[in-house]
Amino acid sequence: MDRKEKKTIQAKLDSFHSRKLWQDKIMKRIFQGSALLAALMIFFISYFVISRGIQPFLSSYGDEQQSLIAFISGNRWRPDIAPPVFGVGFIIINTLLTSLGAAVLSFPISVLTALFIAKIAPPKLRAVLTTIVELLAAIPSIVYGVFAAGTITGLVKDVGDIFGINTYGGNSMFAVIILLAIMIFPTITSLSVVAISAVDRSLELGSIALGASQMETNFKVVLTSAKSGIFAGLALGLGRAFGEATAVSMVAGNRMIGPTWNPFDITRTLTSTILSGMHETSPGLDYDMRFSVGIILLLVILATNFMIQVIKRKVGGVTHE
Amino acid sequence: MLAFKVENLNLWYEDNHALIDVSMDVPRNQVTALIGPSGCGKSTLLRCFNRMNDLIPKTKITGKILMKGDVEIRDPSVDVVKLRTDVGMVFQSPNPFPMSIFDNVAYGLRCQGIKDKKQLSATVERSLRQAALWDEVKDSLQRNALKLSGGQQQRLCIARAIALEPSVLLMDEPTSALDPIATAKIEDLMQSLKQMYTIVIVTHSMSQAARISDQTAFFLLGELIEAGPTAEIFQVPKDKRTEDYISGKFG
Repeated sequence: MDRKEKKTIQAKLDSFHSRKLWQDKIMKRIFQGSALLAALMIFFISYFVISRGIQPFLSSYGDEQQSLIAFISGNRWRPDIAPPVFGVGFIIINTLLTSLGAAVLSFPISVLTALFIAKIAPPKLRAVLTTIVELLAAIPSIVYGVFAAGTITGLVKDVGDIFGINTYGGNSMFAVIILLAIMIFPTITSLSVVAISAVDRSLELGSIALGASQMETNFKVVLTSAKSGIFAGLALGLGRAFGEATAVSMVAGNRMIGPTWNPFDITRTLTSTILSGMHETSPGLDYDMRFSVGIILLLVILATNFMIQVIKRKVGGVTHE
Repeated sequence: MLAFKVENLNLWYEDNHALIDVSMDVPRNQVTALIGPSGCGKSTLLRCFNRMNDLIPKTKITGKILMKGDVEIRDPSVDVVKLRTDVGMVFQSPNPFPMSIFDNVAYGLRCQGIKDKKQLSATVERSLRQAALWDEVKDSLQRNALKLSGGQQQRLCIARAIALEPSVLLMDEPTSALDPIATAKIEDLMQSLKQMYTIVIVTHSMSQAARISDQTAFFLLGELIEAGPTAEIFQVPKDKRTEDYISGKFG
């Protein structure tokens, strides 16, 4: 190879390398841009909801200005009377009751199902169960709503009849809890399966080599190791429970005064409040108040996620620094 | 005194004849090194001693492993959980549980139903001292074990195993994931541990086997080629294949 040839090869290599560097830079910008866009969306939506939702509480709103304290601590939601009363306090409590109730019902079942799918079931059954869980997650909420209105309410009514309790045809807090528990089951389960499957096999072997049984290993080591993913599933599941409007509205019964602690009584959630009568309303106070409820919903979800983080640190006995 | 007496042991993973007619003695309170190229069966034999091969489906074993003279460890009367508390194991890469240092060491005891706090604390301290880790962690027992360095994690795993006061400690290439300084610490540790425990170690490093072991067994393609005092195996090997492997002609 003479000198000239070497030079051309070197020049080609140089241009190839500089092109690669360029490509890296461009790709980096594209990734950054995508991330920024996602972050902006959250910011934009929050800003829009908040700026609209606080309007009724400002003096600039005029005669219909609402009291923030009365709104947050109120125990009546009567947009239908004059003047209308908007008290969201009892709705917050009833939302927490239904969503947390659903989580309490669904979480243990989901985690145990996930453990079974990931660790115990033979490969064929594992594949079948995984598909079923994925299908459950894919069912649209309106279908869950129809199912709940047609089946769960009937069930609740029957149970109520046994105890001699009037159940408004089955529309009740109990029905909402069962509906939400079913709806968040696939979310928690599929994230837990991923988390449990990702646990390093060497941890299990280490446990068994220390004289632990397979069950001790599963509960003490596998679940502890998968904790982060399992709680991420719980957070997402609770997010779905809090945010579910369509199906919930179909069985909640939309109570006007509260809170109610009776599971057989009708209830009202933040989402069903935003949704109910949305189509009949016109721009004005009733419309703006829906945004105010939206702010409350965002805050409730934020607070719940924070709570989950705290619980996550407490269980499993690991001290995080 | 023998810790194990292996007699005509054969092991198949499905059709793969992984151990062929292995017979050897593992003397008590000595370090026995199992050496040989990858896939020679040394780790398979190691996992026979605490019956970890039970976890691999379609494994067939014939022959005998006698413990403490006369107990066949695969006999139905042998409780495999008891066996594993008596034959501890340390793995290739450190595998501490994602728990505090204390909980890691106490794990085996708790699985044995021991809940007494005083007893647990005393055993945790004794085990960590024996594993030469106590001085480094005594003020941070509640720290997450995953925050320790690789070498510390491996010593924690040793502490975890000896917390159950086993008679034998199996080590499957315990230093292959560690740097030279951490390796030297573990090797020093093994010299003090063999006063109390019988140690069987699988190693890829011939210099490690020469440094730390009293007995060496050389495996090739599932067969035990030669076993004996380490000095003899390394200085006057009887078999040509042993000599070739030790001198680095293959490996």
